[in-house]
Amino acid sequence: MTETFHTLSSGDISRRSLILTAGAAGVTLIGSRRLLAADADVIKVGFISPRTGPLGSFGETDGYVLDLVRKALASGLAVAGKTYKVEILDRDTQSDPARASQLARTLINDDRVDLMLAVSTPETINPVSDACEAAGVPCLSTVMPWEAWYFGRGAKPGQPSPFKWSYHFGFGGGEFFKTYVSQWNLIETNKKVGVLYPNDADGNAIRANLAPALAKAGFTIIDPGPYEDGTTDYSAQISLFKKEKCEIFNTFPIPPDFAAFWRQAAQQGYTKMVKICQTAKTGLFPGGIESLGNLGVNISSAAYWHKAFPYKSPLTGVSGPELADGYEKASGKMWTQQLGASMSLFDAGFEALKASTNPRDKAEVAKAIATLKTTTMIGKVDFTSGPVPNVSPGPIIGTQWVKAKPGSKFKLDYVVTEHATDPNVPVEAKLIPFNG
Amino acid sequence: MIWLNQILQGTLLGGYYALIACGLSFMYSVMRIINLAHGSLAVAAAYALFVLSDTYELNPFVALVIVLPVMALVGVALQRLVLERAKRGGTLVPVLATFGLAIVLDNALFQLFGADTRSLAPYIDELSYASWQIGDGLFVGELAVMTFATAVVMLGGLQLILSRTQVGRAIRATSEDPDTVGLIGIDGRRINAIAAAIAMVTVGIAGFFLALRATFDPYAGAPQLIFAFEAAVIGGAGSLWGTLVGGIVLGVAQSIGAQISSQGFLIGGHAVFLAVLLVRLSGPLGTLTAIRLVFRRSRK
Repeated sequence: MTETFHTLSSGDISRRSLILTAGAAGVTLIGSRRLLAADADVIKVGFISPRTGPLGSFGETDGYVLDLVRKALASGLAVAGKTYKVEILDRDTQSDPARASQLARTLINDDRVDLMLAVSTPETINPVSDACEAAGVPCLSTVMPWEAWYFGRGAKPGQPSPFKWSYHFGFGGGEFFKTYVSQWNLIETNKKVGVLYPNDADGNAIRANLAPALAKAGFTIIDPGPYEDGTTDYSAQISLFKKEKCEIFNTFPIPPDFAAFWRQAAQQGYTKMVKICQTAKTGLFPGGIESLGNLGVNISSAAYWHKAFPYKSPLTGVSGPELADGYEKASGKMWTQQLGASMSLFDAGFEALKASTNPRDKAEVAKAIATLKTTTMIGKVDFTSGPVPNVSPGPIIGTQWVKAKPGSKFKLDYVVTEHATDPNVPVEAKLIPFNG
Repeated sequence: MIWLNQILQGTLLGGYYALIACGLSFMYSVMRIINLAHGSLAVAAAYALFVLSDTYELNPFVALVIVLPVMALVGVALQRLVLERAKRGGTLVPVLATFGLAIVLDNALFQLFGADTRSLAPYIDELSYASWQIGDGLFVGELAVMTFATAVVMLGGLQLILSRTQVGRAIRATSEDPDTVGLIGIDGRRINAIAAAIAMVTVGIAGFFLALRATFDPYAGAPQLIFAFEAAVIGGAGSLWGTLVGGIVLGVAQSIGAQISSQGFLIGGHAVFLAVLLVRLSGPLGTLTAIRLVFRRSRK
């Protein structure tokens, strides 16, 4: 660059120097524009979620949540007596972890976001958290078991947290355990649990941690062993569950596998024995359950948010029923538990920005998250008292898909059956035996 | 007893594989085209059936009667717009073209229908999981038996069309030598369009059973393609009855694999597929020689 200016000043404008000068001027121009933008009072927030692809059902409701959030922030955000304009940059991972990582890097390097938010599944959150950790950008996330986020990214039990910039809130294995014990003791069974855990990250983590804990709590675990995702025939597993008369069934499969298994189980006469069918990872959203037809009725699941949660969103002011009804009205589809979870991420993120002395200072924002103690759509988020630093555990509530009451717009209703992990959530219905 | 059950269930599963492999095998045998959009087309048909059943509240079997002629037209369009042009570019181009078509189809379906998992099972009520008990602890699913029977009828029907009818003979002749058939008054283009239409009708039926038996989403085509491909190759690519045998071998191998180890389901199928491929490529004698050579070398 100095050379270019030197040539210019000497008055000898060759073709080469002209190009160089033009290039340098261009670079300066881009640089100054970026500087201008950085100087203005605009807070930039990145929001990364899976909106399309196999995980698309998680992100399906995000458009509606984003609309509410943008409306609430239309007149800016007041922090420490100063009003900032807020720009939310929402990005779709297309369910691809590599793309999630790339999107995060672009948001960090080109868009210069002040805060990153990431939601739903390890495939989305872990790569985004890693990119933020490497670049020194505060990152907040929710909706995946926190153990897989904390230990899965290299933290060691009993050692200080290796993370300075990334934070996560929401359910973990411990909450699943409490919820399952509470839910399964609601009705009389022989306490024999047939488990179908796949050979993938979630399945193996659950097999190693949750299953032994359940065995200690008095349940007999019948495990035919890990199977590969994509299996289309489950005769061997079904024979074993039938032979052992497992009245409780628990599984963490990808949705298409569960549909294949459950229909075959019905064919082979196993479902007639089942009193509680408890699914996780599948059966979270109405679409998947409806596609099972009659076999989907009375399946138990667990929810990280439910419209019966008694909390209001501090950011947008909506309550659970308002959020659910608003979505149903806008989309014509049944509400899902993801609505409240995505909303809670914005709630917590903007509470942290408000609590920071300077929302444009990344270290200040990270500090504000680390000491955040607030109530969001999903309830309490508290980073000061978690089991490990950087984590605030959250509830997972026992639920059941039941036939909707006559006159309802939708085929099914999703009711709360237990509340061990958050007693503030009202229990709405008694758990019905699967064949009840 | 458990083994008998596994073999029985595996055989019925094989009927399903044969059904989804049928169109792939037919297209390869009479048109020399490997259609990588096979699975995606089946899923597209499944979506068409779903829309008719869900929005227009038709019985899925009635919906099938509407969708199959549409699929035949899709076949003609596919042949005229994609395959015919691609084939002029050599043998590899149709493979690439259909691969591209699969990507376009998957994403178009996603744009239209979103990410929700769908199934036709809710519209046939109990048939999706009803079963007959045929012995102590032995159950066969009614839908599985129906799928198997359909596979047999469909493959047999295609075989009959090819060997006994005028059109079938024309199709075979065109596949042997598309240029020479022109000399004896057969319009090769028309015949290929008919063959593509027949292939797409079988794809429509495959989509129907896929939707009845399990769930599908816009990206469900690729896994279907893999099983169809394996069944077709095990049975001897292009042979119709071979496809049925291939499907059954694949299904039984998977079921037995699953009984040996819980992770053995997919491995069992893939292992048999690879073994067959190895024997096919080198011939039984060739394999023996190869094994002997390796053995001799390792001894040295």
